[in-house]
Amino acid sequence: MVSPNEEPEKLLDEAMAVVRSQSFQMKRCLDNGRLMDGLKHASNMLGELRTSLLSPKMYYELYMLISDELRHLETHLLEEFQTGHKVADLYELVQYAGNIVPRLYLLITVGLVYIKSNENCKRNILKDLVEMCRGVQHPLRGLFLRNYLLQCTRHILPDVEDPPPSNNPNDNEQGSISDSLEFILLNFAEMNKLWVRMQHQGHSREKEKREKERQELRILVGTNLVRLSQLEMVDVERYKKMVLPGLLEQAVSCRDALSQEYLMECIIQVFPDEFHLQTLGPFLQACAELHEDVNVKSIISSLIDRLAAFGNKEDSDGIPSEIKLFEIFSQHISTVIKSRPDMPLEDMVSLQVSLVNLAQQCYSNRLDLVDTVLANTLHILADNLKITKIHSGSPLGKELARLLRLPTGNYNDLLVILQLQHFLPLLQLLDYQGRSTMGTFLLNNVLENGTRIPTPEQVDGVLGLCASLVRDADDQPLSQPDPDDLAEEQLLLARLLHQFEGATNDLQYLILQVARKHLETGGPKRVIHTLPTLVFLAYKLAHAYFNNKDQDEKWGKKVHKIFQFCHATIAALVKAEYSELPLRLYLQGALAADVITFPGHDTVAYEFMSQAFSLYEDEISDSKAQLSALTLIVATVQQTRNFTEENHQPLRTNCALAASKLLKKPDQARAVTTCAHLFWSATINGQELRDEKRVVECLKKAVRISQQCMDASVQLHLFVQLLNHYTYFYEKQTPGVTISMINQLISKVKEDLTQLESGEDLDQVTSHLNTTLAHLALRKEQPLPDGPSYEGLVL
Amino acid sequence: MGDDATRRLNSKKQTLDDAYAAPANFLEIDVINPITHGIGNKRYTDYEVRMRTNLPVFKVKESSVRRRYSDFEWLRNELERDSKIVVPPLPGKALKKQLPFRSDDGIYEDEFIEDRRKGLEVFINKVAGHPLAQNEKCLHMFIQEQVIDRNYVPGKIRNT
Repeated sequence: MVSPNEEPEKLLDEAMAVVRSQSFQMKRCLDNGRLMDGLKHASNMLGELRTSLLSPKMYYELYMLISDELRHLETHLLEEFQTGHKVADLYELVQYAGNIVPRLYLLITVGLVYIKSNENCKRNILKDLVEMCRGVQHPLRGLFLRNYLLQCTRHILPDVEDPPPSNNPNDNEQGSISDSLEFILLNFAEMNKLWVRMQHQGHSREKEKREKERQELRILVGTNLVRLSQLEMVDVERYKKMVLPGLLEQAVSCRDALSQEYLMECIIQVFPDEFHLQTLGPFLQACAELHEDVNVKSIISSLIDRLAAFGNKEDSDGIPSEIKLFEIFSQHISTVIKSRPDMPLEDMVSLQVSLVNLAQQCYSNRLDLVDTVLANTLHILADNLKITKIHSGSPLGKELARLLRLPTGNYNDLLVILQLQHFLPLLQLLDYQGRSTMGTFLLNNVLENGTRIPTPEQVDGVLGLCASLVRDADDQPLSQPDPDDLAEEQLLLARLLHQFEGATNDLQYLILQVARKHLETGGPKRVIHTLPTLVFLAYKLAHAYFNNKDQDEKWGKKVHKIFQFCHATIAALVKAEYSELPLRLYLQGALAADVITFPGHDTVAYEFMSQAFSLYEDEISDSKAQLSALTLIVATVQQTRNFTEENHQPLRTNCALAASKLLKKPDQARAVTTCAHLFWSATINGQELRDEKRVVECLKKAVRISQQCMDASVQLHLFVQLLNHYTYFYEKQTPGVTISMINQLISKVKEDLTQLESGEDLDQVTSHLNTTLAHLALRKEQPLPDGPSYEGLVL
Repeated sequence: MGDDATRRLNSKKQTLDDAYAAPANFLEIDVINPITHGIGNKRYTDYEVRMRTNLPVFKVKESSVRRRYSDFEWLRNELERDSKIVVPPLPGKALKKQLPFRSDDGIYEDEFIEDRRKGLEVFINKVAGHPLAQNEKCLHMFIQEQVIDRNYVPGKIRNT
């Protein structure tokens, strides 16, 4: 079996062998002065290029080898015909070569020598060569022949100003810029024609393979454009009048998507931006006329992106002010969109993305332009196409998200985005997922840039932009979100609240109100993350008013209102069936109201305490939670400074009562001990309470309760802790706390310790006891100057 | 000056529409989908002959018929007799493969059928691509009529 690739490979090898042998003989004949034989061998060699059996790649290999060999011929002829006398004859002579392909390669080679030896025939010969090449109409062979023509003539194309008009045809024999343009444009047109026609060769089922081959050959056509761009005499005027029209005429007329896409892209890349700026009209006009399969979007986008970069470049003068770049693009893009009803919507939006990019890069102070683009996009999607919801995973959804992200990422200031009237309506076209993702993106942008949001209106705007994070939406998924994901998202929102910063306290108060109006609609699963932050911000604001009370005579009333605000906000959390968190927020509020001494603050603080108590009694049932809540309550009461006795007395009594009502004995013992400190060091009217009777009562009660514990190790832990508390109160010289009580506890502990099995528990208790005893021993040896005596202490 | 060497006949300029027009002589015939029918002595293989063209001489621009080897033979004989062209050969009859007492499937082997299919495809493309053959009634009938009427009146097509 012969593999399909083997045959062409073999053909190529054979052809290469012929080329090598013929070129060898050609050189030998030339060296021996046998020109005619040399040309014959050259022609034989060139005959190999007549094949139709090679793939473009192989044909290229063969072509490269042959064009190398032709250079020898050229060099030889140049030396031989320095004077230019007989070249004319030679030029005629090679035209008798039997086959067209060798004939034209030879004609080009000799033509080049002719021109080099006699500049005065340049114009004539160039014209003749480019015309004669029409003789090869086979696409592949024709493309390479014309490529040879381009290669040979690359250094000799006339690049001088046209002479003034004259009647004497011999005036411009060496040619001028117009001749070069004509030459290249004609060559280009012919090559494009051959290239386009290539698609019709062979069986239609191999179309894909052929298109691939055409892609490989495109650079041959593009070389014409490169040559044009290398001519010094091509200035903006010539480009506008001759070059571009010549190129666009072929590009548009060929009606071939592959060619059009490449040529337009090539024009953009090859010629300088200054030229593009002066020819936007015709270029974009041509874009609208391209084949429907052409990706016009990417062509226009790539032009815009280039010009945007140009306008933004440091060393350029920017876009000349007389060129209304944005308007031109805007207008043509809308023409293109109208002329292509089948254009995918994402491409349409992608064009708008490019426009925004342009506006931002070249007209950075013209926010209105960005808004105009958004307005147009909205108009097309919502008004023209009646689209109400866009799936965020769709290409259109992704492009739209890109459009919205672009200004956000550019200005890095959400306050600027808020000025874009059409941002929000466009955002709302996205589905729930899309809006949420965008909301997260916007919030992160605020946080990363530390954007401060200073007015209630702006707060309203920002929370509106991320509405799908703030509250439930009609189109959200039916399944419950993952709690961790939700928490992460809501934490962003909580962090956002810290960016709210009114210029004055009054403004800040309005801001907090606006924020709550949004946040309280979040439902139970969201408010737990967001409202606490709001409450703390409100407490902070109350402090701010207090610190500034000399400048604001109404501060008291305002602070009162803030506490009402907090009270209601915490109540909302209670209503959402939370208890532990609101309890703590109430306690925090009590502490704040205690030190911010506005008229009636005492009542407010008391109210907050009593709310905390109610929650404790009605809502908290888990014993661990009870103990920690009660400990916090006791600590809060202990921390307050400004309660009247009338209010303080029920609070501390309730604490003691609650402590003794705890379910578990160890909890009781610990809570009651804690209360002992409350009765000792709570502050009323600037005085510590020092209710020694209650202190001793509490301690004794704690001992009693501890004795009731069944678990020996827990009991021991409690006793050692109690020993510490006794020691503390003894040191404070509390009447009723005696050395014998301490001695009793020590001996009790030591005795019980022997009963405990060895293990971690024993180690812990022992070490706790030892450090306590060490402390006592130290005190016994070195009593504090005004401390009690430790006489009689038995260690 | 070498004006003589570059003196040329004036040629008419090609219009852009002409330059980029799709070729007006598109013709593609595929011989595909071989199917072997029947059993025993009645066994035979036929092929789908599918044509696509834009040549004005063909009434229908896309057609598909089923033909067996003997139909190709018939076409070849008609052309040989009526047209002035040198008719290309058909792939061989493979008489050897039709001898009895074989260990393989003879002319019903997949490999043989594929070789024959290729040969028939080359043959019909050559024939149908020939401008003179394109005028023969037999060719049109072969390519475009579902059933070949062997009693037809031979003649030329003139609908261009």
